[in-house]
Parts: sequence; C-alpha cells; structure tokens
Amino acid sequence: MASALRSSILRHIRVPISGTLNLNGSRLWTFRSMSSHGDDHLDKQEVVDRVLDVVKSFPKVDPSKVTPDVHFQKDLGLDSLDTVEIVMAIEEEFKLEIPDKEADKIDSCPLAIEYIYNHPMSS
Amino acid sequence: MNLATASYLARRAAQKERVRTLYRRALKDTLNWAVHRHLFYHDADALREKFEANRNVEDIELIDRMIAAGEASYNKWRHPDPYIVPWAPGGTKFCRNPTPPPGIEIIHDYGREDNY
Repeated sequence: MASALRSSILRHIRVPISGTLNLNGSRLWTFRSMSSHGDDHLDKQEVVDRVLDVVKSFPKVDPSKVTPDVHFQKDLGLDSLDTVEIVMAIEEEFKLEIPDKEADKIDSCPLAIEYIYNHPMSS
Repeated sequence: MNLATASYLARRAAQKERVRTLYRRALKDTLNWAVHRHLFYHDADALREKFEANRNVEDIELIDRMIAAGEASYNKWRHPDPYIVPWAPGGTKFCRNPTPPPGIEIIHDYGREDNY
C-alpha cells in the first residue's frame, strides 16, 4: 500500500540529482579526481616538515641547528656542492624536476620551502 | 684596476655556476647509471672526490680548461635513457591528458535518459 503510493508519487515528481558544479575550481577537481600525481596540494606545515627531515638526514649537517629559516652555506657551514646535493635530495623527495637555473638559486631553507609550496606538481 | 677585478670576479662567479651545474648533472647521471642505492652512494662519493681534488686551483685559464674537460666527459658518459619525472618534458606522462578547451563539459544526466 505504502509502496504503491510511493511509486505513484515518484512517477509524477522528478527528484533532482545534485546539479552540475558551477564553480570553475570544483569543476577542475571533478574531472581530475582519479589522477595519480600532482593534485594533492600539500599544506605548508607538511612541506616544512619534510624539507627539514631531508636536511637533517644529510650526513654533513648537525640536526640540532636546522630550523625553517636556515641558510645552507652561512648557517650550516656547507659547501656549494653540498647545496647541490641537498637540492637533488629535495627533488627526489617531492618528485619534482627543477630546471638547472632555478636549482642554482635555491640557497636556503625558506627559498626551498617556498619553491616547493608554489610548484603545482609537488607531491 | 677596479674594472679588471670586477670582470675577474664576474668570470670566477660564472665559472662557479658552471661547476655547480656540471656537478648537478653529473650526479643525476650517476643516479641514472647506478640504480641500486648502495652503488650510487659509492659512485657519488667518487665523483665528489674528483671535484674536491681541484678545489684550490686559482689559475683562471686552467679552471676554464678543466670545466671544458669535465663537460666533455659528462657528455661522453650520458645515459641513453635517463629517468625523468613523468610530468616533465621527456617523461611518460607529459602532454598525456591535456586539459580540454573551455567550452566542453560532461553532462551528468543519470536517470534522465528516458526523456521524461
């Protein structure tokens, strides 16, 4: 009885589905919802933590001196070649490909964090 | 005199940048050749030793020649199939799914196909 009433009502009323998303941002999100790379935008604290982990696990660095605003050559006493190695380790950690010109400019922790945070494909 | 020292310093700075770029590319190439990590660490240390041995050279012409020789040996040993991150140019996912032009969208009409 109730089910017959229900089906007769449903035959006459169209229950609308949740409509198409109208904002540009969320439309972008729906058709890349199954992509496996580059969509999980990291938040700043996570980026900072991972970068500090990478720098601390470098054998020539004293872990207690590493803070988010440390300069590799001035504060940690590293070499320019060591800076190159650290930048390469950061590239491997965040699955990035940094062009040579940009990589040469990354000289300190805050620069590295900002570059990674602003890069669209870091994950 | 100031002009000479400025140009000398500029030349030294350019050389240092070339050395850094060369070291970076050589290290990536070492990683391409020696995929297993313990082998890579060994080879990376050997590469670092080669750079460290020439650390205190002061003669600018000699430095130029050494950098040219280093770049030549890098070009000789480049890996034919280097690892490139997938979304970068040369990687496997580059340009694979370009974003569609703005007018096109998917129309979700589940349940409405029977044309009520």
